[in-house]
Amino acid sequence: MRVRRLRKEVAALEVTAFINLIVVLVPFLLSTAVFTRLAVMDLTLPAQSNNKLEQLKGNDLKLEIVVRPEALEVGDRIGGLIQRIEKKDGHHDFKALNSLMQTIKQKFPEARAATVLSEPDTSYEVLVHVMDAVRAGRSANGGPKLVRVELFPEVSVGDAPVRMKGAS
Amino acid sequence: MNLTPLQKRAARKERNKQQLDLNLVSLIDIFTILIFFLLSSATEVETLPSYRAVKLPESTAETQPKETIVVLISGSEIVVDGRKVADVTDVMKTNDDVIPTLKAELELLSKRQVIRQKNQSLKAAITIMGDKDIPYRLLRKVMVTSARANFTDVSFAVRQRFET
Repeated sequence: MRVRRLRKEVAALEVTAFINLIVVLVPFLLSTAVFTRLAVMDLTLPAQSNNKLEQLKGNDLKLEIVVRPEALEVGDRIGGLIQRIEKKDGHHDFKALNSLMQTIKQKFPEARAATVLSEPDTSYEVLVHVMDAVRAGRSANGGPKLVRVELFPEVSVGDAPVRMKGAS
Repeated sequence: MNLTPLQKRAARKERNKQQLDLNLVSLIDIFTILIFFLLSSATEVETLPSYRAVKLPESTAETQPKETIVVLISGSEIVVDGRKVADVTDVMKTNDDVIPTLKAELELLSKRQVIRQKNQSLKAAITIMGDKDIPYRLLRKVMVTSARANFTDVSFAVRQRFET
């Protein structure tokens, strides 16, 4: 007697509904996806009620970075100008500013505050880049890897002192 | 070769079958992975609204944004929490440090009662989303105005940049 055997159908998955769902969901999610991450930068504004005279002590560092159209001037409010960083290739030299900040931080490890003084026509982007360079930096710190180091995180913003005519 | 009618039928059926076999396995694979990735990124809480008109400057700052009042300064107008309060051209014309319409709006907002104790510290906080090309003069006016309206905790919104 011969054995009759029905041929088996290949098993098939019915995935059409699933694919439909995915095809709708993927463009929707892609259109709503945000690929840029936002962060905030805290400012320390001088308190309004703080009217009493500041006691300026000789040892304290009152770091000031003046943003001029042609250079960055790093100075101490008491000690005067520390270094003037000229523009390089038409841009402010933020790398030099950052390394200068790191050397100053090594001399004054306790200092946390700095003031960025800018002229009225300084663009917001330059201001933010200067603040970036002042707040934190990367240094080798003796090891082989670059480590993010905090420099002067308490940044406040102010007006640049007006220059005398004729002085450069 | 003797076949039963049933076997003949099966053979004929096999011969005439139009095989349409789309291989969708890899497609479904990538779609599924993509969906999980997008869903997980979509569930992240967005505290700051994003606007096409404003190009934020890039920065390495890592602080997460807080839920505060947002002052948006684009190239043409100043917007507080979605309501336009002043035109940039008008503001730039005056030498006054305080923008009256912005101050009025901010004072109105500062009168809002804070219900939860936890949010008490955010009462004086304000986030400025400025276009990267605005001059410091304009930024200063907005900052002076917000300080006058008792918003002293100013932070700048920036786009995060990852250093390599």
